[in-house]
Amino acid sequence: MDPVTSRPGRVLIHVFLLAFAIYSVVPFLWTALQSIKKLRDASSRTPKFLFSPTLENYEDLWLRSTPENPEALAFFLLLALSLLVCLLIFAQHIPLRRNLVYGIALSGLVGLLWLIPQVLDMARFYDFFINTLIVTVGTIVVSISFGCLAGYALARYAGLLGVVVLIAALAFRALPRLAYVLPYYWIGSALNLIDSHILVIITLVAVNQPFTIWMLRSFFMEIPKDLEESAMVDGAGRLVAFARVIIPVMWPGIVATALFTLLLAYNEFLLVRILTQTNWTLPVAISRFTGGEDPRHLTLAAAAAVSSTIPIIIVILFFQKQLVKGLAAGAVKG
Amino acid sequence: MDRRIFLGFAGPSIIVMLLLMVLPLAMAIWLGMHFMTFDNVLEPQWVGLRNFVAALGDERFWQSFNFTALYIAVVVPSWIVIGFIVALLLDQVTGLARGVYLSIFLLPFIIVPIVGTIMFRQLFEPSGLLRWVYQELLNERFRYTEQTVKALIFLHGIWYVTPFTLVVYFAGLQTLPPDLMEASGIDGASRLQKIRHIVIPHVRSLTLFILLFSIMDSYRVFDSVFVLTGLNPLYKANTIMTYTYQTATQFERLGKANAMAVLTVIGIMVVLIPNLYLSWKEQIAER
Repeated sequence: MDPVTSRPGRVLIHVFLLAFAIYSVVPFLWTALQSIKKLRDASSRTPKFLFSPTLENYEDLWLRSTPENPEALAFFLLLALSLLVCLLIFAQHIPLRRNLVYGIALSGLVGLLWLIPQVLDMARFYDFFINTLIVTVGTIVVSISFGCLAGYALARYAGLLGVVVLIAALAFRALPRLAYVLPYYWIGSALNLIDSHILVIITLVAVNQPFTIWMLRSFFMEIPKDLEESAMVDGAGRLVAFARVIIPVMWPGIVATALFTLLLAYNEFLLVRILTQTNWTLPVAISRFTGGEDPRHLTLAAAAAVSSTIPIIIVILFFQKQLVKGLAAGAVKG
Repeated sequence: MDRRIFLGFAGPSIIVMLLLMVLPLAMAIWLGMHFMTFDNVLEPQWVGLRNFVAALGDERFWQSFNFTALYIAVVVPSWIVIGFIVALLLDQVTGLARGVYLSIFLLPFIIVPIVGTIMFRQLFEPSGLLRWVYQELLNERFRYTEQTVKALIFLHGIWYVTPFTLVVYFAGLQTLPPDLMEASGIDGASRLQKIRHIVIPHVRSLTLFILLFSIMDSYRVFDSVFVLTGLNPLYKANTIMTYTYQTATQFERLGKANAMAVLTVIGIMVVLIPNLYLSWKEQIAER
């Protein structure tokens, strides 16, 4: 559309957009504010905006007991974390093989996650956080591997069978979750897998597979066929051509799809709620803070909500472009 | 690519979907024909179609169906109208401001839905900000009643998904044919006329896409209702999904819950089949 040029018109546009922005963030800001109040301030009937901030809610949420020298520990943990993140960001500029740098950074992160409960007395919320990481990473790896193969095949194969698979996937995507999840509970009980990460991961892969193959297929369609055909003329088999020529070109599409898979796995509530008993992920653990008689649930819920949102906000800050592009592309292509 | 290679590549994915989507659906029908609680999960007792009859005769099942229909009727048009208007406004902004607005608007859509609902709830706790605003403005106590809880569920639904329609429309606006817009400007079309006669027809296919998907997605609304009502029957705000869930976990009637899930699947077919038909035609044409 051509831009509005009149001054009052432009002011009005910004007023409306600002109002909508406030509407979008008020729940976040209020919850963040509540999470750094003492319980007495947080439960005041008239909202308090002047109070002495405290981290005690986060301490109660994450730690079972307060360590002797919390400042020093927090300092070293944050230092280690920021070093590893910097390593990931600047990997391109380090004169070593890039995979090696990524390997070092990732094993450093895993080591750090292992080290934390050794030096600190962590509460169960930390276990739920680790569960969420395992489930999310596991789902992304399996889902994207299967999805890439299928998405590539669906983009290149012209037979009717391909259309049947695509349309069936679309139908599966639309069906209400409970129609699968209740039978999963039966399968899990029969195989004695209830409460295991494996069951949650494979069922999450299954329910997200339709979305994954549609999205990856749309990215593969954009890659010209000549690319792998010329590689195959050079004597490479189709699988080799796929791995050596197509996948490197596909990285942006894979990252975008992985991002959505991450959100879907990280957000899943109903499926995890039914298939686990104690090995919860964050959404299920957090839902425990609603209702109930314990007054401390008010501020603990706020701290838990903020704690689980921060990783997602960090991820989105890094990948905002892919997110918007993926949302728009998925829609425009149907 | 021939059929053999296609099956080789797509095989793992197809097997996963056959084993974990087709098979469970068949099992849901089979389990729906059994009496099953958490005590006899592995030895369910055959009861034939009794669960299906019981579900169809269950007043609360229909009550939850009606509330789900009301939810769709309120929330889906709001998503489309608000999303479209905000996208038009956002289109007027350029540069850094556009990116900042977009990031803020996306926030409700990307966070964990359960967490978003909890944040919403925090605003209406006895010490919540919006409860206080409500009481100051209307000079009356805010209570959790059937009406207010339902209103909160609608309000949260609008807050949560509007970012999605907004981004879709916003992307659609970027593909407007510039020469057509220019020509209509020369012909003296006003801004509203342009929106009415060029923009809205241009985004018609997007609207259809949003309509179909948002009806199917809001049909299975669960997380927000679960948190905002705590499954309290007092609020009469059960949706089909929460009532099925409640039948399974609280009433421990797993067989009946399976039967209800199957009935829900049949219900969605009204919207799903036209959608599938359209996609089928499109894919065949593209081939």
